[in-house]
Amino acid sequence: MLKPVHRKISLLLIALAIFYLYLAYQLPSFSNSVINASTMPKILGFGLIALSLFLFFTPEQETKEEKEKRHIPKADLIKIAGVVLMILAYIFFLERLGFILVSFLFIYFCSYFLGYTKHSINFLVSILFPAILYSAFTMLLGISLPSGIIPF
Amino acid sequence: MGSIEGILSGVQLAFSIEGILFVFLGVLAGTLIGMMPGLGPISAIAIMIPLTYNMDPTVALVLMAGVYYGAVFGGSTSSILLNAPGISGTVATSFDGYPMAQRGEAGKALAVAAIASFFGGTVSVILLMLFAPVLSSVAIVFGPPEYFALMVLGLTAISSLSDGSTVKALISAVLGIMAVTIGIDSQTGTTRFTFNNPNLLEGIDFLVVALGLFALAEVCALIINRNQTSKDRKSLGSLKLSKNDMKDMSGPMGRQSILGFILGVLPGAGATIASFIGYITEKKLAKKPEEFGKGAVRGVAAPETANNAATSGAFVPLLSLGIPGSGTTAVLLGALLVLDIQPGPLLMSEQPQLFWGVIVSMYVGNLFLLILNLPLIPYIAKILAIPRPLLISLVIMFSMIGVYSISFNTFDLYLLVIFGVIGYLMRLFKFPPAPFILAFILGGMMEESFRQAMTMSNNDLSIFINKPIALGMLIAAFLSFTVPIWQGYRSNKKNSA
Amino acid sequence: MKKIWLPTLALFTSITLAACGGGEDSENSNAEGNSSGDGNWEPEQSLEFVAPSGAGGGWDTTARMAAEGFEEQDIMDQGIGVVNKEGGGGAVGWSYIAGKAENPHHLFVASPPLLLIPLNGQSEYGHEDFTPIANMISDYGAFAVREDAPWDDLNDLFEDMKDSPEDITVIGESSPGSMDHIQFVKIAKEAGVDPQSVKYVSAQDGSTMTNLLNGNADVYSTGVTETVEQVRAGEIKVLGVTAEERLEGDVVEDFPTATEQGIDETFVNWRGFFGPPGMTDEQITYYEEKFKELNDSEFWDETRDKYAWNELYMDSEEYAEFLEDEKESMQELLDEVNVEEE
Repeated sequence: MLKPVHRKISLLLIALAIFYLYLAYQLPSFSNSVINASTMPKILGFGLIALSLFLFFTPEQETKEEKEKRHIPKADLIKIAGVVLMILAYIFFLERLGFILVSFLFIYFCSYFLGYTKHSINFLVSILFPAILYSAFTMLLGISLPSGIIPF
Repeated sequence: MGSIEGILSGVQLAFSIEGILFVFLGVLAGTLIGMMPGLGPISAIAIMIPLTYNMDPTVALVLMAGVYYGAVFGGSTSSILLNAPGISGTVATSFDGYPMAQRGEAGKALAVAAIASFFGGTVSVILLMLFAPVLSSVAIVFGPPEYFALMVLGLTAISSLSDGSTVKALISAVLGIMAVTIGIDSQTGTTRFTFNNPNLLEGIDFLVVALGLFALAEVCALIINRNQTSKDRKSLGSLKLSKNDMKDMSGPMGRQSILGFILGVLPGAGATIASFIGYITEKKLAKKPEEFGKGAVRGVAAPETANNAATSGAFVPLLSLGIPGSGTTAVLLGALLVLDIQPGPLLMSEQPQLFWGVIVSMYVGNLFLLILNLPLIPYIAKILAIPRPLLISLVIMFSMIGVYSISFNTFDLYLLVIFGVIGYLMRLFKFPPAPFILAFILGGMMEESFRQAMTMSNNDLSIFINKPIALGMLIAAFLSFTVPIWQGYRSNKKNSA
Repeated sequence: MKKIWLPTLALFTSITLAACGGGEDSENSNAEGNSSGDGNWEPEQSLEFVAPSGAGGGWDTTARMAAEGFEEQDIMDQGIGVVNKEGGGGAVGWSYIAGKAENPHHLFVASPPLLLIPLNGQSEYGHEDFTPIANMISDYGAFAVREDAPWDDLNDLFEDMKDSPEDITVIGESSPGSMDHIQFVKIAKEAGVDPQSVKYVSAQDGSTMTNLLNGNADVYSTGVTETVEQVRAGEIKVLGVTAEERLEGDVVEDFPTATEQGIDETFVNWRGFFGPPGMTDEQITYYEEKFKELNDSEFWDETRDKYAWNELYMDSEEYAEFLEDEKESMQELLDEVNVEEE
């Protein structure tokens, strides 16, 4: 019964709606407000449940071809996961090491990881882009990006 | 008569060397800042404020106005090329602009956007000149009941933004409104769904959602197709528009420059709503609506005309009443106060040179924008010829910095990644992201204006019926939502019979 | 959009900061620095004035004008950069300063929201987490109605409000429980209106004046300066201001105070400078003197005129006491306004 993927999704959405509703019912209500802070969230929560049920009972319309599309080769999945990890590392180190250094490392290794092999161009771009962007932001726009361990 | 003298003195100012120089600098800075991911007109104006402290107020206002519409003009670039809308007004542009660019027609898409922007900007300035004094009374007719109705009308676009299952589009929209309920509730001051996390008090920023759902999700798709050969360089940068394209554009440009201007005049509605409403009305009017969303020239021309027209419209309440109609004009008003200009109902009669000078300078500015942008397009479009792996890394970095420069908070960057993942999953399972972002933009305003109206009426729903404008829009919303469903039902029945 | 963003770090700040070695090292080598010996302290790096809001607002203007004044009048040796930290109605800027504990080179501008926002549970930091240095100016609230409204003074309005509060919509920029709401409730309560019955609508998208003019709202609770242009144009009238005495200036001198209408209550929108927690007495004294000098300067006199601000200087000790009293009265009002159901 759970075979068509849209049924699984609909159950997941119902779970989300129940969690959301649970939080909505915790919201305080004030006697002097006509429509309370929780009114809209409650409508949304129940609305989502209703729509999810509707989705659950719609017959499957997906063609085989579309299903195929969802199948991602393992190699690609690894690449995506790798890039996500690099993004997380980028965020983590952004304020610690500074914008220029982290961006340099990110662009260089991310491009390399995705199969870019012209190392000299890669090196040049990954150093020039962040540097130009950094100076444009700090000097021209007056927006300070984290300078980090590079002392300027 | 007085106003003719006023206009003449404005012309004199706008065409003085100083006037031309500063409008040029303004639009140049604006369009460049607008092209940066994450930096929209608000940032652009804020950046300019400290620079104008000691300037002549009129010149400073000419400069600021130039920065404002220049940023709106330039804002479409990242939407079209990278699917990374930097401001809410250009989300609708990405619906067809990005598919066009993917097809190898990036230059053409950018040219359509530039021409449409120019047209919308110029026509609306003419309207502004003709009607500014009259329109000031129209600008204030909208109150919470009317805004609620307008938001509902805007939300009916959901049904036309989905090309597959309507249920999935609706679910996507509900999730979008849910996302916008996070944060401090404006009408009671209570915090909602923040999990006691101070980073969530302000709510989730639009840019986090837009860049996550659109740009980062697209990056995932690009990673899978990373080895695809890059596009043919020649056609990429080509600006050539066929006669047919021009014909396609003319209708939307004509209609949307007027509609966009009117929506811009209304305080609070602004460029975003104008661009969405422009997009859906053109889709409804089109002979082949199925082309929308797949790279239709009309689909780029409509929102770009509308958002630029709305930008000039927003000057009506600001200059003629001293009322800021949007977040951006509020910042602009703040900047004017620093310069000792106090816009109000008397500005036009007391300082006609300033009033008309700014308006006339906007013609000049729009012309500059077109001249500046068209020759640049072939070069800008070549961005897409960058080898995929490198392009992917750069887009990710740009999105991150766009978000970071709003809040200087890495928490928002983690949120961006989460929305990127959500966006990618939505694509995989065929949930359209457009209704999510539309609901995210309009849903918050819809709830707020509904509650304001209900408080005003002491919990009496008839406030929406007694106001003719509100009622009219609600009926239009009802029809635009139900008629397509009914038609679909009927044609289904016929087919099965 | 929600977070109207504006981190306008003035260009020269970044340069000066960079010139100081740009980073953590110099920032942490602070406090004890020069405080040795005769008890005189002086800043040893450029100063930062934080406006916890966007560019162009009241906090921002105060910070920028003060910075300009210090420089123009040669009061301080060190350069001053103004930084905007917007968000959470100030909460973002406050938590930034709280993180600068013991580094007395970062000051910020504050006004009543510093009391109200923590009381409403929207910021973990309140005024007691910071070091009050000096109050510089005051501003007052104004209650405006349309020119053709049936009320001619505050008493007319409040009488009607006592009878049928549900018929009168009060609109303001800030959310319920914050400044525009509380200043109105404070005066209305003194006139005998039940604080909880006041029908207050918050419009944070800049549509407040529109809604007054088009009749969706009846009373607009705001600052004095916001009303001036529309009064001059004959669109609205101001029934009362929350000042103790009549204000000086072109249009505003015609605005009656609540006090002169027999309602013995005021609301001060004070504005002054605060430092991070844990400042030493020497440091406080240093700044007090400098701000006093600025306050007495001609430059500041002109600035007050230009922006229609009023003089209200308080030194650190007075300020701290004043804030305690203010907080108490706000707390009382809030308790009466926000009654949770059940």
